[in-house]
Parts: sequence; structure tokens; C-alpha cells
Amino acid sequence: MIFLRRYWLSAVAVLASVVVFLVPFAFIVLMAFKDQKQASLLDFSWPAGNHLWSNIVEVVTTRNWMLLTAFINSTILTVASVTLLVIFAAMVGFVLQRRKTRFNGLIEFLILAGLMIPPAVVPTIWLLQGIGLFAKLHGMVLIEVAYALPFSILLYRAFIATIPRELDEAAIIDGARPFDVFFRVILPLLWPVTVTNIVVQSVAIFNDFTNPLYYLPGNANATVQLTLYNFQSQFQTSYNLLFTNIALITIPPLLVFLFFNRQIVAGMTAGAVKG
Amino acid sequence: MAGLELKSLHKSYGEVEVIKGVDLSVTHGEFVVFVGPSGCGKSTLLRMIAGLEDISGGELWIADKLCNAVEPRDRGIAMVFQNYALYPHMTVYDNVGFGLKLAGTPKDVRDRKIRDAAKILQMEHLLDRKPSQLSGGQRQRVAIGRAIVRQPEVFLFDEPLSNLDAALRVETRMEIAKLHHDLGATMIYVTHDQVEAMTLADKIVVLNAGVVQQVGAPIELYQRPANLFVAGFIGSPRMNFIEVTVKAVGADMITVAGTDLAAITIPADGTGIKPGDTVTLGIRPHDLESRAGTISGQVVLVERLGNETNISLALPSGESWLVVLDGDHDLKPGQRLDLTFDPARAIIFGSDGVARHPRT
Repeated sequence: MIFLRRYWLSAVAVLASVVVFLVPFAFIVLMAFKDQKQASLLDFSWPAGNHLWSNIVEVVTTRNWMLLTAFINSTILTVASVTLLVIFAAMVGFVLQRRKTRFNGLIEFLILAGLMIPPAVVPTIWLLQGIGLFAKLHGMVLIEVAYALPFSILLYRAFIATIPRELDEAAIIDGARPFDVFFRVILPLLWPVTVTNIVVQSVAIFNDFTNPLYYLPGNANATVQLTLYNFQSQFQTSYNLLFTNIALITIPPLLVFLFFNRQIVAGMTAGAVKG
Repeated sequence: MAGLELKSLHKSYGEVEVIKGVDLSVTHGEFVVFVGPSGCGKSTLLRMIAGLEDISGGELWIADKLCNAVEPRDRGIAMVFQNYALYPHMTVYDNVGFGLKLAGTPKDVRDRKIRDAAKILQMEHLLDRKPSQLSGGQRQRVAIGRAIVRQPEVFLFDEPLSNLDAALRVETRMEIAKLHHDLGATMIYVTHDQVEAMTLADKIVVLNAGVVQQVGAPIELYQRPANLFVAGFIGSPRMNFIEVTVKAVGADMITVAGTDLAAITIPADGTGIKPGDTVTLGIRPHDLESRAGTISGQVVLVERLGNETNISLALPSGESWLVVLDGDHDLKPGQRLDLTFDPARAIIFGSDGVARHPRT
């Protein structure tokens, strides 16, 4: 009783976390084991038999191995976008922090505007068609970069302020040209923020559903999130396959997260206190 | 060889002029120290020589080459920063070799040069460490190593010792002096610490508010300061000043007296000075002797150090002076102290602040 009185708040917190974070996961996994009949009941019940393997085979082979194409597309999209984002955001942050001109205010306003103004889909499609990038993977890469750039810049700029300017100057005296200063001195020092950027942006881009839906039509262009529509339609939904699909496409972001997990915390707090 | 020539160098940030026309000539192998109070422009001047600041006006010649628009890497300079500015993600070896790597030096040549530099600075055992694993003195050593490995014509030091503790500062100061002797390179050194300036320099440049006050050998600056500013800045503790009235002007002699001072005749250039003028008399605290004579005042504070005694003295006019007497003196605050000094040690400054040294 004493135990309960002393720790009831902690107990409530733990319970709430379990309900919010673990129950949905458990639901996904349980559904992936069920057959179509049991799954369509949509209840939180133990699977009647193990149908996981047949579900996986079905999901992967559906519509001429569409999930594989989708995984390839999503990987290319994510890797290309995040690479460009990291380099460009760090460059913008570096120049913006180091070089004070009278345009800085305007540039900062544009960056904030990029965060605030909602993306306009139809004009963007019109523009993409005009330059021949509509429904192309590299067009999609450019869009993801454009949408995510402002946030990444903000992350980088705050951190660059903590790198002493003498480092740039020492490198210049040592004979470094501007690109040497950036790639050999500044970028390596930004690693904690770069990790944060990689995790946050790659998960966001990999899991992006609406933007590929608008800008990347066509079966050959499918990304992983769009494959969910294979098993969900107006008249028939195979919930067991849908949730198997969800389980499968959750694995890559999970791996990224586990891999960078320890460093991401360092990146979040970096710059708060000078190390 | 690698001399240095500054011809009416100017620097302004918008409307604000920080360097107001500096002329300076440095011969090869000279150790020049820029000294002055905070904000006098000494660091800016050094950064202009390094190429980190643009030159607003005038000419900068390094080794007979006009360098106004030359990139820092092509000026043949190396610089040591106050906070070391080592690259945190590289080992000491890579830090020292970074410039050579950028210049595309072959690997074996680079390795030899890095190891030579490490040997000169006795830091061979540190080569595999990262800067975060080094102490302040070791970091400064690496920073110096990074400079000498490039074999520059001119070394620039921007207050390199001010982040070190007192003992290490003395040690590193001697090492820099030795390095200058061994390398024979031209060195320009910025500091606000006049002990560093006095001990290291062949030539001191005293700056104030972007203007050169005096250029000369350390002892010359101490004994024959050009004006009130240099007299007050060089020498520790600071020179005492007092306003006095001219009583008589002779050939290379001026007789002065004041409220605090009995009439005394001081060797000085009397050109343009006539009886009745107000001038400033300067005397260093060490030059005062405890004997009845020219000046007297009330003891305010006594610091007994054993080998000498520092006394803060209030003169009758309310002026506050500092007196340093040799040996131990048991004085009490409130006591009256009579002092005198050798007239040859005193300096007369005209109303424009310029020193009137005797012409001989």
C-alpha cells in the first residue's frame, strides 16, 4: 500500500506510455499474424493460427512485386534527399552565420516563410510539368529537399554559432580555400547536428505519404507508403495484409533510429552548453 | 629577405576609423611587438597583415611584394591565435600537417616536416592525440608547431600567452624567444602585457586609438618615452604625473614648482616654453627616495613585500601617487613621508603631452 501511495504517479505514467506507444505496435504485429477472416474483425485478439509467412509472401508479390520497386524508390529518394539536405543546409547555415550582410534579415525571413507557408500542390505540379520533372524521382528529390531545407538550416545555424571563428581563420591562413574550410574543417565538426538531421529527415521523407501521392504518380514510381493502398479500397480491405505491409515498412526507419539513437541525443542538446 | 613595410595603413568599419595611418618598417629577423590598451587596434593591424581583414587604405609590403590584395595563403605568413584554434576533430599530427596537405605536399616530405617541427617543440609524444586530450600549454605548442611547419617568412602571434597560467606563461615566453633565435624569422607579436613586450621585443610599437605613439627598443621606450601615453603605459607600476608651473627656462634646463613640489631644476628641452606655463612632470615610482627634499605627502596604504615596499601616497593637492621604496619600511597609514628624486630621472611633458627630453 505504501508502495502504491508513493509511486502511483509513476505507475500511471508507465501505464499511459504502454497504452500510447506499445499497444498500437502490438496491434500491428498481432494483425500481421492473422488470416483475412479474423483480421477483418479488427479486435485485439490473439491470432487463431500463424499466417505471418503467407501474409508476407502475398504482400511482397502483390501487383508484380510492387513492394520491392517501392523499397528501391523510397531508398533512393531518402538517401539522395538527405544527402543534399545535409550539405546544402550546412552550407546555408555556415554562410548565414559567418557572413553578416544587409540581406541576412531577408534570407532569414525567407527561411521562416519556408516553414510557415503551406506547400501549394497544383502550382508545383504545373511548374514540374513545365521543366519536365513531374512524376520523375529526381523531381521528387528536389521537392523533398525544398520542403525540409528550412528546418535543417535552423538546426545547423544555431550549432555553427558555437564553432569559434578562429578555426575558419586558422584554416584560411593554412591555405584552405572556401570549400576546404567547409568540407574539411566545419562539416566534420557539425557531426552531432548532422546525425540529428539524418535521423529526423530520413524518417520524415521515408514515411512521407502525401507528397509522393501528389507528385509521383504511376506504378513504377510507387514509394513504400503508397503500397498501403494496395490492400485498402472502398469495397474491400485485407487488414491482415495491410498490417503486414505496415510492419515491413516500419523496419528501415527503426533501424536508422536504433543505429543513430545514442548520437541523436547529443545533437539535440549540443550547443546548449559550450563543450 | 622577408622584411615588412607598412605605408600609411588605414582601416575603417563604415564610418568608424580604427587604424588611422600606420607607417612601420620591419627588417628581416626582427621581433616586433605591438602593444597597447584594449581596443587600440593592435589585433586589427595584425589581422590586416595576415589578410584576415581587408585593408581600407595604404600599402602593405611583405618581402618586397605588395600584398594588399594577396590571399593569406600566398603571403608567406603563419599565425598563432590566442585560443589556439586547433582543429578539434584532427590529431596533433593532422593539425600540424593540415597546411602542407592543402598545399599538396608529398606524403613523405610532409611526414618529415611534421616530425621535424615536433622535434623542435619537443612534442613528438603528443602526435597521436586529439587537442581535447592536451593541456593549455601543449595546445599552444601545437599551434606554434602548425605555424613553423609551413616555414613562413613572417610569424604572427595574436596574444598567444593570455590563455595560459602565470608559470606556463613565463616558460612559453622563453620558448618563443628561443624559437625566434633559432629560426631567425621575422616575428610580429601582439600583446597587452608589457612584460611580454619588454622581454621579447627587438622593437616595440605602442599603439593607442589606431595611431602609433612610439616605435623603439624596449629600454628606449622606458627611458625616453615620446609622450604622456607611452610614459604611462610602459613601466609597471605606472609613472606618477603632476602638473607644475614653469619658474625659469635655461639652456637645456627647466625650473618648475607646484603646490606639491618645491622648486627643482630638471634637464629638459625648453624650446617654446616660457615661465608661467603649465607643464606635466613625470617620475617613476622606483625613482623616488625616502629623504627630506622635494615632495611630501600622507601615507594612505602600505604593501610590505619584504624586498620592497609599495606605498600609496596622498599629496597635499589631493593627487594620488605610488611610491616604491627598496627594502622594508615600517610605515603606518596617516604618517607623513618626505621624498626626493634625482632630477635627471624626471621627465617634463609640454601641455601638448609631448616629452621634452634634453637634446644631448
